[in-house]
Amino acid sequence: MTTTTDKTPAAEPAAPVFAVRDLWKVFGPKAQRIPGNEEYAGLSTAELRERTGCTAAVRDVSFDVQRGEVFVVMGLSGSGKSTLVRTLTRLIEPTSGSITMDGQDVLGMDKNQLRDLRRHKAAMVFQNFGLLPHRSVLDNVGYGLEIQGVSKAERRAKAMEVVAKVGLEGLEERRPTQLSGGQQQRVGLARALAVDPEVLLFDEPFSALDPLIRRDMQEEVIRLHREEGRTMVFITHDLSEALRLGDRIMLMRDGAIVQLGTPEEIVANPADDYVRDFVQDVSREQVISVRRAMRPALGDEAESGAAIGPDTLVVDAIEAVARSGEHCRVVDNGRTLGVVDHEQLLAVVAGLDTDPRDKAVAAV
Amino acid sequence: MSAAPASVLEKKDGVSPPGPPSSDAPGPLAALLRNPKAMALVAALLVAVVSALVTANGAWPADLTFDVRSPLDDINTWMAQNRDTHPVFLYFLLHISNTSESAVDGVLGALEGLGFIGVTVAAVLVSWYAGGANLRRRALALAGIAFGTFAVIGVLDVWEEAMETLALMVVCVAVAGLVGVLLGLAAGLSDRAERILRPVFDTMQVLPAFSYLLPFVLMFDVGTPAVFMATVIYAAPPMARLTSLGLRGADAAALEASRSLGASAWQRLWTARLPLARKPMLLGLNQTIMMCLSMVVLATVVGAGGLGDPIFTAISTLDVGLAAPAGIAIVLIAVWLDRTTAGFGERVDDAAPARSAFATRVVWAAMAAVIAGAAVLGQALGRTEWPENWVIDISQPINEVVGWIERELGSGIPVIGGTLTWANGFIDYGINPLFDALLATPWWAVLLVAGVLGYLAGRWRAAITVVLALAAIGAMGLWSRSMDTLSQVIAALVVTLILGFAIGVLAARVAWVERGIRPVLDTMQTLPAFIYLIPMIALFGSNPAAAAVASVIYALPAVIRITAQGIRQIDPSALEAARSLGASTGQQLRQVQLPLARPALLVALNQGVVLVLSMVVIGGMIGGGALGVDVVRGLTKGDLGLGLTAGIAIVCLGLLLDRISQPGADVKERALR
Repeated sequence: MTTTTDKTPAAEPAAPVFAVRDLWKVFGPKAQRIPGNEEYAGLSTAELRERTGCTAAVRDVSFDVQRGEVFVVMGLSGSGKSTLVRTLTRLIEPTSGSITMDGQDVLGMDKNQLRDLRRHKAAMVFQNFGLLPHRSVLDNVGYGLEIQGVSKAERRAKAMEVVAKVGLEGLEERRPTQLSGGQQQRVGLARALAVDPEVLLFDEPFSALDPLIRRDMQEEVIRLHREEGRTMVFITHDLSEALRLGDRIMLMRDGAIVQLGTPEEIVANPADDYVRDFVQDVSREQVISVRRAMRPALGDEAESGAAIGPDTLVVDAIEAVARSGEHCRVVDNGRTLGVVDHEQLLAVVAGLDTDPRDKAVAAV
Repeated sequence: MSAAPASVLEKKDGVSPPGPPSSDAPGPLAALLRNPKAMALVAALLVAVVSALVTANGAWPADLTFDVRSPLDDINTWMAQNRDTHPVFLYFLLHISNTSESAVDGVLGALEGLGFIGVTVAAVLVSWYAGGANLRRRALALAGIAFGTFAVIGVLDVWEEAMETLALMVVCVAVAGLVGVLLGLAAGLSDRAERILRPVFDTMQVLPAFSYLLPFVLMFDVGTPAVFMATVIYAAPPMARLTSLGLRGADAAALEASRSLGASAWQRLWTARLPLARKPMLLGLNQTIMMCLSMVVLATVVGAGGLGDPIFTAISTLDVGLAAPAGIAIVLIAVWLDRTTAGFGERVDDAAPARSAFATRVVWAAMAAVIAGAAVLGQALGRTEWPENWVIDISQPINEVVGWIERELGSGIPVIGGTLTWANGFIDYGINPLFDALLATPWWAVLLVAGVLGYLAGRWRAAITVVLALAAIGAMGLWSRSMDTLSQVIAALVVTLILGFAIGVLAARVAWVERGIRPVLDTMQTLPAFIYLIPMIALFGSNPAAAAVASVIYALPAVIRITAQGIRQIDPSALEAARSLGASTGQQLRQVQLPLARPALLVALNQGVVLVLSMVVIGGMIGGGALGVDVVRGLTKGDLGLGLTAGIAIVCLGLLLDRISQPGADVKERALR
């Protein structure tokens, strides 16, 4: 079911799309004094509020978003993820730190540069859609272009094209209130796509939708990403959504980063108990690849058995092993890296591969 | 003065005890002793009653009275002498006065140019457009209302008066709407402006319409400019308030989306904020129009002319037949304007795909062409004025009916009495004893009771406002006239609240009652206050009871509506829980619905107070006397010293009654708990 294998792992990047360093967002009186202050560094959110009256929504966060990847920011409500995504285009002004987009300093931009960035480079999809009820679907989709000053004929043509792309043909003249939740969010998505942005920002776009529709929409995003390879920053509180969509996942808690890694790294190797609690119900075989599960080949094992790639998921390897009845070889570019058989695969499913990183390192 | 005010208060606090019905529930006396608020009130009332019994004369002492009339008269004289020469008039006020006059003349000229055919066609088309500009029922019904309105206006021979009123209204609505939108934009976009404007609007809403006329008559003398200024200032607040509300209530996600796409502040306002606020803004326009109509009609007292004129004359001569055609015309115009503007509001929600801009333009062009064609047709036929032989005189028959009512229903009906008997009873056993009691109570005791009430409603700020307002009344030497007005207000208020709460509860619980009275309430709420006087003089003649009954009828719709809404809007799960526990209807009402609807009931009380006062003052014209009649006399006889002091006293009474009836401090505290 998972599409992890389809994803193009981020190739060694020339330059990240977003580079965020030491970012803080503190709400409250005299917020400026909190970032970097040793006195407050160790306090929990509640203690900080007690002591200073301030709430640190984003605490000392640094990360890069690579070109073409789906970067998921995940956390429970109140973890600061929605604030974080808004600071990227300064819909919320960060308290301190630095943000660069394509090498440009976002925080140093004046009003016009910032407006340009919002108009052309980054477009956002919102949890509550944020559609304009007095406009038709087509005019909602073309709204971003209208703001840019694109002529009416041109923006209608572009809007038509995008409406078709997100599967809303025939509904162009409807009003948003006449659409279902899923359709409304398709309009929101189309509106963001219509301006052809470099990055799409998603702020929990599907949490207001029914589970089935949510799945459809996730598929839609995966499809769009596969077709266009657009960089996406995706905020969610839903772990399965994060695992389905993310090339990399950044887990946040109380405004700070808990762990940043690929879905596999997070499931296989949780950074702490908080993350472990989070991922304990995940079907490990559907996230972990055989690279982590394999052992070195013994004797002539390297000569026999079906060959599978190192990124093959354990769940697929189980099928291959069960079919053939013997072990499989893990082959990368013609070189056998190791083998997996019942024992290794079962250990993954049972969660007994306690220290997979050591094993993986040893194997390579 | 104990009986009636106490019952008002009990209504206020009587719904309150939400305490758990514990087994050792204290007796009523003990409960009273435990409640410091009730204690303070009882103590104040006790002092008032005892001191009233002891002294039996409590009028405001003469040596605490100051002469404000002479200085006001001096100002008036100075104004009259300098109106044509002083620079303030020459370079500022005169411009306003000339511009407004020529604007009204211009509109009136245009209406006359259109002729009766053109005006009717224009009204019908505009209403039809408001209804959706198609052949469905709503559009046709609205067009029908428009046609009926203007046909009846013509038939009843009040066409010219109606056009005068409409011309004045067009100008007032345009300016009031513009002013309202601008103020609303300021309040909606800037928190500071909102903080400044909100209390101003709140206070303006409380003041009776009459009090707006006085300062402008002082400035401009009687005539169109004074009416114009008073109307604009009276009618602009709802537009401003609802514009601000719409701008602030707009979907935050849509606004953020607009910002995230790089919209400039101007683009955001124009493409997202204002369109999202369209519905409340149209509601505001609707209210502004209705208030303009109400004021323009009332302002006939200061020479506005138009449809108010015959009514004003008829009221002073008790000639119902003379008032009837103009009254009917005003009712019809009110209904037509209300339904048409409401129609525009409903269009905003229309689910049907919006017509393309081109089609809209075509419809507009076609409408303009048809109206122009109708006007030309009228000119060609030589018929711009309503034909004289298409007129029916209803004055005579109506006067006969009124005469019959007076003879047959006035008195002497076995057992139930008759309208005049009732009116006399109401005066003898309601208003007069109250008035006597208020006068017998020493002034300082009245101040004490009012202050305690103010403190209970809104803490020190309200208490001080209330005491100062009363003191100002006394100092102007209007103590006894104000107590006269106050006693009418209290008597009418008690009746209004008893009826309003009863009908409101009934409407909330019985679906068909609600269905039946809703259109009646809708219509009643759109009618100008002035109109209510006409049936009153037919039924009760000219006396304080007629004025009080008019106030009851004027204030009832709002009280009923707010009560019913408040009861219906309580958390349904609370009611369901009570039902599932087997609560009887009475228990549901007493234990769940009324306590939970308490905030709404308090709002209803406050609205009732404000509306009753505003009508009691107008009722001065039909025998209510007291402050209302002073204002009218001041306005019509040019005795502005008298009028203005009475006007100030009315404003003080308005503040007093509003502040002690405000669902202020303790409701908010309860909500926070």
